[in-house]
Amino acid sequence: MSWKRFTAFFCLFLSMAGVPAWGRQSHATIIYDDRASEVRSVNEEAGRLCITTDDLKRATGFELKPQGICRDELCFPVSKSRLQEFVHESAGKIWFNLVAFANLVQQPIARDESLSIWYFGLRADQRQVLSSLKAPDFTLPDMSGKIHSLSDFRGKKVLLVTWASW
Amino acid sequence: MAQDTNGVKDAGPWITAAHPTYTALIDEKHLVSKLYNMVNVPTGAWIDEHGKIVRPNEVAFVDDRFKNFSGLDSAPYLDALADWVEKGDKSIYVMSEERLRERLTVNNSDIALAAAEFGLGEHLYKSGHLTEAIPHFKEAQRLNPKSWNYKRQAYALSDAKRDYGTTFMDEVEKAGGSKVYYSPPDLRPEVTQKDKKP
Repeated sequence: MSWKRFTAFFCLFLSMAGVPAWGRQSHATIIYDDRASEVRSVNEEAGRLCITTDDLKRATGFELKPQGICRDELCFPVSKSRLQEFVHESAGKIWFNLVAFANLVQQPIARDESLSIWYFGLRADQRQVLSSLKAPDFTLPDMSGKIHSLSDFRGKKVLLVTWASW
Repeated sequence: MAQDTNGVKDAGPWITAAHPTYTALIDEKHLVSKLYNMVNVPTGAWIDEHGKIVRPNEVAFVDDRFKNFSGLDSAPYLDALADWVEKGDKSIYVMSEERLRERLTVNNSDIALAAAEFGLGEHLYKSGHLTEAIPHFKEAQRLNPKSWNYKRQAYALSDAKRDYGTTFMDEVEKAGGSKVYYSPPDLRPEVTQKDKKP
């Protein structure tokens, strides 16, 4: 099923399910994978953070697909019976509840209510890498801004040492 | 990996002075500590040619500049490291999978939430909201009390006595003093694996 057909099917599903249009729109900052994005949001006062599916893709890389909530090869399946926990239609847009998704993928959330900033931490799948004994990969700059990844050193022994100026 | 929220501004002069012949990276968001569950510096992990951890997090002094503070001599750790470089997985310091799994810290929900609170604190600090950042740094410290990183980094970003009612040295004294502040690396030879025998 194509994305357009899935969306059309989903809007029809929502209207048949009688899902109500929700609250007032405002702005929020989402920090996802340590990257900050400004988004339009609704329903923050209810402990939900609903953003448009366009903002979902822009801020998190995830999108709604027939097989679930996906980013590249990573997909979290969602049954039809649970879809309305995550999405609703309002003002001609489909809104996605990022807090419900965080609960699904066991992702911690830290929030500053006064500034409407939401920080999404490591999902359970990201935290479980260590148990495989595989060294988690990362990409960081050196002082000149040149980017290095741990995986660049595959084939060599690596002594990984953290330090700090403090 | 410099675990410094202020990045090059704070870590840069140290790297420049060290003239490193190795790769020295800047980790403003403490990503490596988060991914590997590291709670203090210096912390080291050994990773083999296949990307597998063969020794997990442990205190990793590579010289003796802090010996007076910590009481730890770097020589045993450096000797162990040299043994691994020479012998690879035949080194007696390469841990068995069983021992590795015992030593790896489980990233439970409190630890994960602490990292999120700390990340939010860092974002607030860097966007000019230190006052708003402090409660989140405190929450990270409460949720993961083993993390000295969360204390030490937060203290360094403000007036620790004013904002946290303590200082790094106060906390070290509470922990029993500088000579027990760091646990020495456990360098007992790994003798349980048959494949370690020649």
